Amino acid sequence: MEDYETMSFRYTMIGAAVCIFIFYLALILSLFYFVGGKGFWEALSHPYTLFSIRLSLMAATLATFFAVLIGLPSAYALSRFNFTGKGILDTFLEIPMILSPIALGAAFLVFFNTPLGELIQTRGIFFVFEVPGIVLAQFATIAGLTTRLMKASLDEISPRYEAVARSLGSSPWQTFYRVTLPLSFRGLIASVILSWAKAFGEFGATVTLAGAMPGKTETMPIAIFTALASANIDKAIVLIMILVGFGLLILYGVRLTGKRFRYD
Amino acid sequence: MIKIEDLTILFESFKIMNLNIQIEEGEFHFLLGPTGSGKTLILESIMGLRKPRSGRIWIGDQEVQDLPPELRGISYVPQDLALFPHLKVKENILFGIRARNLDMKTHEEYVQALVAVMKIEHLLDRYPAHLSMGEKKRIALLRALAPRPKLLLLDEPLSGLDPSIKIDIQRLLKNLHFSFHPTTLCVTHDFEEVYFLGDEITIFIDGKVEQVGKRDDVFLKPKSKQVAQFLGAKNLYRAKVLKNEGSFQRLILAVNGLQFSIPLSLYHEKMEVGKEVDLFIRPEEVMILREGKFVKDSLKQNIFEGKILDIAGKERYQTVYFQTTLGKILFEISIPNYAFRNLNLSAGKIVSIALRDESLWVIG
Repeated sequence: MEDYETMSFRYTMIGAAVCIFIFYLALILSLFYFVGGKGFWEALSHPYTLFSIRLSLMAATLATFFAVLIGLPSAYALSRFNFTGKGILDTFLEIPMILSPIALGAAFLVFFNTPLGELIQTRGIFFVFEVPGIVLAQFATIAGLTTRLMKASLDEISPRYEAVARSLGSSPWQTFYRVTLPLSFRGLIASVILSWAKAFGEFGATVTLAGAMPGKTETMPIAIFTALASANIDKAIVLIMILVGFGLLILYGVRLTGKRFRYD
Repeated sequence: MIKIEDLTILFESFKIMNLNIQIEEGEFHFLLGPTGSGKTLILESIMGLRKPRSGRIWIGDQEVQDLPPELRGISYVPQDLALFPHLKVKENILFGIRARNLDMKTHEEYVQALVAVMKIEHLLDRYPAHLSMGEKKRIALLRALAPRPKLLLLDEPLSGLDPSIKIDIQRLLKNLHFSFHPTTLCVTHDFEEVYFLGDEITIFIDGKVEQVGKRDDVFLKPKSKQVAQFLGAKNLYRAKVLKNEGSFQRLILAVNGLQFSIPLSLYHEKMEVGKEVDLFIRPEEVMILREGKFVKDSLKQNIFEGKILDIAGKERYQTVYFQTTLGKILFEISIPNYAFRNLNLSAGKIVSIALRDESLWVIG
């Protein structure tokens, strides 16, 4: 039998957790108040709405792909090796987290007005107010986070496994894909999913660098903002509900990955 | 033959200077040192995971200190075993054979023989998470031996085991070594483990080698007081050389007024009169004399009378704490239980003890 103090402590803590749950649930449920109206179905089937869903999916996937491409080796280096400048590099990963996304987008606009930026734009790819700008802005927002999350997953894997694999005859590359990668797979997949979700919901840097042109650079978060600005509540609700749907799917995916690929 | 020449490792607070170890083919060599003395660093350097400051490592005719770990032909069993948790036991065992692109057919018979000796046939399709600690140790050993390494490195192989499993694995290691003769270097701080398994021993204390030799030589004839103390030597006394009776081939030492007669033939160093030495008396070689029983001439050199202070029982022997009447010197005497029962000893009883010549060792 628990004493009064233990019970009150327990219920206070659980009560706080339930409050958070109710807070978010109420927010989501309030959206349904507007569901079903004539404008709702029109907004859902509008070509611009479908375009912004497609654009958001494509841009977030590309940004995540590039973030993983550079983030995974970087995370491995930070997790396993000691090298000059490691501390500075590690600190720089947090820049997108402490910098306002709008400031990050503005920094890109400034950069593309420098001689190097102009050279990239004229000789290579156009980023400012273009679709590649969306991918770049999302990449900049998530690359540090992806690296940090992946490093945390790799840190959990004892380097002793790699030492044994090397002694048994595996090269560093073979050890990476036969031992390190499978052992950290659960954490790496969760990192990818969370990074993708962050890119999918990115607004500030994207709107600053790529603008908010319907049918061209209008991603879902930007479409929500413009819909609200023009008092198109039905469209905003549709897009918010789709975002919430994707968000819940992603969280479910992360939990599912957590259950699979467990070896303990 | 494995040869480690002048290996120097500097890492954080560890300073290992000019380490030399030589291991004959098929030998079970122990590197014995206190916990935290840098033994694992030495293994990691031999394996190629850590670059030593200087030194050369020979495996057979090949100099390997500049080769990556995968090309050295060394297998390693770390203290935490590091069985790959995502692979089944069978896949763990075959990992080295596959990684080294060895011919599976030529290794099949050997691996099957290992599996039979280890008695793990029923575990092959399990994942490591579903194995007991003893089973994990067996699999880790098998995985290391399967690709037939030129050198097997073991890091504290019996640590973290329950006593019953520890004896089991100890026997298994002995059996494996007897059957397959892998050249093995094992680091440990546990000298009981070394006594049971070791052929040759390197005693490593404070970053340097203190003694190298056959197991019995090291345990029975430690070269320094530091080695004797590390090996848990009891009955260690500071003594002074009183007489050097060259004609009788005896040396007379005094400890607190009590005189010991030591056979001179054992020592190469000059034992000049007045020299201070350490006298080590092995507890298991001290005899408690039974009243009225005939005493052999060979035992008459060192007979002392005194009182039993206490008796403590252990698993297979009793420890008798004895103090001499003259000089009040305290002795620890180990007596097997079967012999103890015939002696009728109790605390406070006055008895005489005799020291065999083999029980005495002088560290000059």
